Amino acid sequence: MKQYIARRVGYSLLSLFLLSVTIFLFVRVTGDPVSLLVEPGASPEDIENIRRQLGLDQPLWEQYWHFMASLFAGDLGQSFYYRVPVLELYFQRLPHSLLLAAVAMTLSLLIGIPSGILAAVRVDGFWDSAGKIFSLLGLSLPQFWVGLVLILFFSVYLGWLPSSGSGGVLHLLMPAFTLGWYFAAAHMRLTRSSMLEVLGSEYIKLARLKGLPEALVIGKHALKNALIPVITLAGINLVVMINVAVVVETVFAWPGIGRLLYEGITFRDFPVVQGVVIIGGAMIVMVNLLVDILYALIDPRIRLES
Amino acid sequence: MTVITPVTTDTIVSATPFWRLKGFPVIPVSILLFIAFVAVFADLLAPHDPQIGSLARRFKPPFWLEGGSLAYPLGTDHVGRDVLSRLIFGARVSMVVGITAVLVAGSIGTLLGIMSGYLGGWADQVVMRITDTWLALPALTFAIFLAAIVGPSELNIILILGLVYWTRYARVIRGEVLSLKQREFVRLAVVAGCSSRLIMWRHILPNVINSAIVLATLMLGVVIVTEASLSFLGVGVPPPKPAWGLMMADGKKGLMVGYWWLTVLPGICIMLMVLSANLLGDWLRVKLDPQLRQL
Amino acid sequence: MVSPSPSTTRRNVLGLSAAAMIGATLRTANAAPEGELRIGVHVSLAPTWFDPAETPGIITPFMLLYAMHDAILKAMPSDPMAPCLAESCIMSSDGLSYALALRKGVKFHNGEELTAEDVKFSLERYRGAAAKSLKDRVANVEIHDPHRLTIRLKEPWPDFLTFYAGASGAGWIVPKKYVEQVGDEGFKKAPVGAGPYKFVSFTPGVELVCEAFEGYWRKKPSIKRLVFKVIPDESTRLAALQRSEIDVAYSIRGELADELLRTPGLTIKPALGSAPFWLYFPEQWDPQSPWHDRRVRQAAGVALDLKTMNEALTLGHSRLTGSIFPENFEFYWAPPPPVYDPARARKLLAEAGHARGFDAGDYYCDTSYANIGEVALNNLREVGIRVKLRPLERAAFFKAYSEKKLKNIVQGASGAFGNCATRAEAFVAKGGAYVYGSYPDIDALFAEQASQMDRAKREAILHRLQQLVHDKAIYAPIWQLAFISGVGPRVDQSGFGLIKGFVYTAPYEDLTLKGKA
Repeated sequence: MKQYIARRVGYSLLSLFLLSVTIFLFVRVTGDPVSLLVEPGASPEDIENIRRQLGLDQPLWEQYWHFMASLFAGDLGQSFYYRVPVLELYFQRLPHSLLLAAVAMTLSLLIGIPSGILAAVRVDGFWDSAGKIFSLLGLSLPQFWVGLVLILFFSVYLGWLPSSGSGGVLHLLMPAFTLGWYFAAAHMRLTRSSMLEVLGSEYIKLARLKGLPEALVIGKHALKNALIPVITLAGINLVVMINVAVVVETVFAWPGIGRLLYEGITFRDFPVVQGVVIIGGAMIVMVNLLVDILYALIDPRIRLES
Repeated sequence: MTVITPVTTDTIVSATPFWRLKGFPVIPVSILLFIAFVAVFADLLAPHDPQIGSLARRFKPPFWLEGGSLAYPLGTDHVGRDVLSRLIFGARVSMVVGITAVLVAGSIGTLLGIMSGYLGGWADQVVMRITDTWLALPALTFAIFLAAIVGPSELNIILILGLVYWTRYARVIRGEVLSLKQREFVRLAVVAGCSSRLIMWRHILPNVINSAIVLATLMLGVVIVTEASLSFLGVGVPPPKPAWGLMMADGKKGLMVGYWWLTVLPGICIMLMVLSANLLGDWLRVKLDPQLRQL
Repeated sequence: MVSPSPSTTRRNVLGLSAAAMIGATLRTANAAPEGELRIGVHVSLAPTWFDPAETPGIITPFMLLYAMHDAILKAMPSDPMAPCLAESCIMSSDGLSYALALRKGVKFHNGEELTAEDVKFSLERYRGAAAKSLKDRVANVEIHDPHRLTIRLKEPWPDFLTFYAGASGAGWIVPKKYVEQVGDEGFKKAPVGAGPYKFVSFTPGVELVCEAFEGYWRKKPSIKRLVFKVIPDESTRLAALQRSEIDVAYSIRGELADELLRTPGLTIKPALGSAPFWLYFPEQWDPQSPWHDRRVRQAAGVALDLKTMNEALTLGHSRLTGSIFPENFEFYWAPPPPVYDPARARKLLAEAGHARGFDAGDYYCDTSYANIGEVALNNLREVGIRVKLRPLERAAFFKAYSEKKLKNIVQGASGAFGNCATRAEAFVAKGGAYVYGSYPDIDALFAEQASQMDRAKREAILHRLQQLVHDKAIYAPIWQLAFISGVGPRVDQSGFGLIKGFVYTAPYEDLTLKGKA
C-alpha cells in the first residue's frame, strides 16, 4: 500500500510538472502582455523598457528556471497587471470562490439527488422524465444565457435580487443557482444509476421481503449506500467548480478565481495565469489522488492492477 | 469492478425494430433527425443569405409582432440579417462542429485509451500523464489559449473542442480495456499468437465501441454548449458565420432591449439539440452499456 | 490631449485661465461634501493605477488619477493643458529648459505641503510607459526654492510638454516623504496624493472607495464618497444602472445604448476619445497584390457606409473625421470628409481590373470590435470586395499586428497619447511598430519634422505628411470612436465630455448629485 501511494504521489507530481511547462509555454506563445500595457502606437523604447521591467527580455529557459525556483520558495511572482504578489490576489479571491462553489454544490445536490431518486424509483414514469429533463436543462443552456435571464427576471423585472457583485446572501443566489444547475445533471445521473444498482442488490430485496415499508427501504437503506459515489463525485466537482466558474463570475461580476484567471488570460498576465492554473491543477490532481487512494484502500484489487 | 459481458451490436438489433424498444426516446430522436434534415437542406430551405444583411432593416421583430413582416418571419439581427436563415444554416454549423468535434475527440481518445489500456507499460504511462495534465487545466482556459494560437475559424473550433475533450474518452475507454484484457477471448487470442495490433483492432475495439457511442451522444451536448460559451468569451466561431452559440452570445445584449428573438430562438435550438442528444445518450447507455456511470 | 504651443507657454497665459476658473467655481466652495456616487467600471482596477509613477501608456488609469492625484499641468475643461499644481510653466527661448512656479499652500491628503522637492522626486521616480523617452532627454531638475524649479533638457525637444504634462504620469505629483517612508508597495496599498479624493479602501476585482478631500486647492468636492464598482459584463452593468445600484455605467454600446435612451431617468453620455479606427492594407507594397493599386484601396474607403454604421453602433456619436489622426491632437490636418459612394467604388474597382469584384482574403480585427467588422464586411461585399472576418482575441490581435503577421485587411485603432507626430511614427513612418511598409516621400517629411524646432514650420510639414497619407489611401479611416456611458437619475453634473478627448467622468470635484450643492 505504501508503495502504491508513493507511486501515485510521484505520478501526480509529474503531472504537475508537465502542467507547469505547458502553461508556461502556452501563455507565452499566445500573446504579448506588453502590447496590452501600452496603447498601440507607443514608442519602441518604452515598449522595450516595460519588457525589461517584467523580466521578459531574458531567454525563455531562464524565465522558466526563475519561475520554478521561486515556485519552490512558495512565491508565484508578481502580477503584471496588479503589481501585487499572485498569492495575495489568489487568497483574496479564494473565499469568494469557495463560498460560491459551496452554495452552488448545495443547490446542485438539492436538484440532482431528489430527481435522481425519483428517476430510479419511478423508472420511465412522469417524475422520472420531469426530473431528468429539469436536470438536463441546466446542462443544455449556456451559463451566460441562464445568468442573464435570471438577472432580467429577478433583478430588473421583479427587483428582488441585486444584479451583480458580492456582499449578502442575496448576491449569492443567482450565480450559485446558475453554476449549480449546470452540474445538477451529473449528480442526477449518478444518483439514478447508483440507486438502481443498490435497489437491485440482495439486501434490499431482503428488506423488501421482510415487509419493511417501501419509503423506509428507499429512504434509509438504499439511499445511504447509493449516495457514497454521489458524494465522492460532489467532492471532485466542488474543486472543479472553484476553477471553472469563469462565465458565471463574469456575468455576475463575482470576484472569484475564475475571473482572476480569465482576466489574467486577456491581459496575458503571465504570473497570474501560471499561478492560478498551477494551484487549480494541484487541487484537482490532489483530489483525484485522494479518491484513487481511498478506492485502493477499499478495493485492494486496484492496487495490484496498476 | 464487476465483470462486463462483452456486448456486441447484434444483441441490440434483435427481433423487434429498435424504435419499438421499451423507452425508446421517440421525440428526442425525431428532433435530432429534423435538425439533421434542416442542416443538409439548408441551402434549399433558407429564404435569405445568412451572412448578408443591411443596417437599414436591423432589429425587425418576428412576423407576428408589430413591425414584423413575412419577408423575415423570425425577424432580423443587429446587422439586419434574417434570423430564420441564420437558424437554418446554424443547424448545419452546429451539427458539423458538434459531430466532427466529438469524432475528433472520440478517435483520439479511443485510440489512445485502447493503446494505453492494452499495451500498458510506458505507453500507458505517457498517455495517462498527459491525460492527467490535460484534466488539470480548465477546459475553457485551454480552449481560449488554443484559439489564440490557431486563430478563429470553424475548423479550428472543431480541432480545439476535439483536443480539449479527448481525455474524457481516453480515461473511460482505458478503464474498459483494462477489464477486457482479463477476459477469456482476449487471453485466447494472445495464446493463439495474434499480434497486439490485431487484438486491439479485432477484439478490443469492437467491444469498446458501444461505450464510445454512448459517450459521443453525451459529449455532443457538452461540445455545443462549450462552443456557445467560447462565443460569449469572444473566441468562438467567428462572425458572420451563422452558429447558434454565436447568435446567442451576440444577441444576449438585445435581450435587455426587448429583442428577445435574437437570443431566445437560437437558445431554444441549442437546448432542444443538447437535451435530445442527452436523452438519447441516457437511453443508449442503459441499452448498450449499463456499466458506464460516471458521466 | 493637445499640448499648447511653446510660444503660448512662454507668454504665460496659462495662469490667467486657471484664475478665471477658480472664480467661476467659488460659489459652491462652502457646502460640506455629502452623498455617494457609484460608478460601474468596465475593467478590473489595478493598484498600479493608484501610483502615477507606474502609469502605463493607456488611458484607463487616468480614471483614478483624476480622483486621487493632481498634476503640474493637466487637461481640464477650460484648457487641454491647464496649470494645476503649477501656476506657470515657462519655456526658455532656446527650448532647453522649463521654469515651473508651483501653487502655494497645496496640501497632500496627509496634510503635508506640496513642494518642489516632491515635483523633482515624482519626475525622477517615474517609471511608466514613457519613462525612457523622458529620461533620455531630461538633463536635470534644479530646485530654486520650495515653490520654484527648473527642468533642463539635454537638447531641444518640441514634444516635452506633451509627455510631461498630464498624459504620461510623470507630471502627477506624489509626496516624497510619505513614499520614502512606506515604500512603493506600501504606497499602492495606501496611496496619498494631492487630488480631490482620498483613498479609503480597495478590494481587487470588486471596488475602490474614495472620500472627498476637503482641503483640495481648487475647490471642495461636492460629493462625499466615490465608489468604483467593477462590473465586467456590459449587460449586467446596464441592469445595475437600471436598478440604481450604480449611478454611472461606463461603456454601454450598440443596442444596450438604445435601451439607455428608452429607460426613463437614465441619460446617455457620449464622449469622443482620441481613438480613431481604420482599415489598413498591409499588402499595398506588394506589386502582386490587388491592394497595390491605389484605386482598390480608395474603393474600399468609399464602400463603407460610415454614417449608417455610426447611427447603428454608436448612436451617431462617433466622429467621421476621415483621418487616422485624432482631431484633438496637435498638428492635426483635417482631410475632406469621407463619402459613401458604392457606385464610385465599383467604378474604381472596374478601372483597376476587378469589374466582377475579387476575393480579398481575410479581414482581421480585435474581437471586441468585431461588430464594426461585421458591418464593414457587408459594405465591402456589396461592391464586390469579398472578405472573410477573422476576429482575434485582443492580446493575440495586437501581437500579430505588431509582428507584421497580418495580411489583406486589418481593422486597427489606437488611443495612445501624444500628438500627430507620435502617431505618424507608430503608424506611417518607416520602422514604426505597426508599419508594414512606407513611402520615401512620407519618410523624408517625418525625418524633417523631427528636428524642426519652429512650430509653424513643423506644423506645415506634418500637415503635408497627413495629406500624403490621405492621398495615397494608405488607410481607409472609419471614425473616431465615441465612448458611450450611462448616467442614472441621481446625478446632476456627471462630468462627461467636460474635458475634450477624455472619455471618463472628470474632474471629480466638479461632479454633483441632484438636490445637493
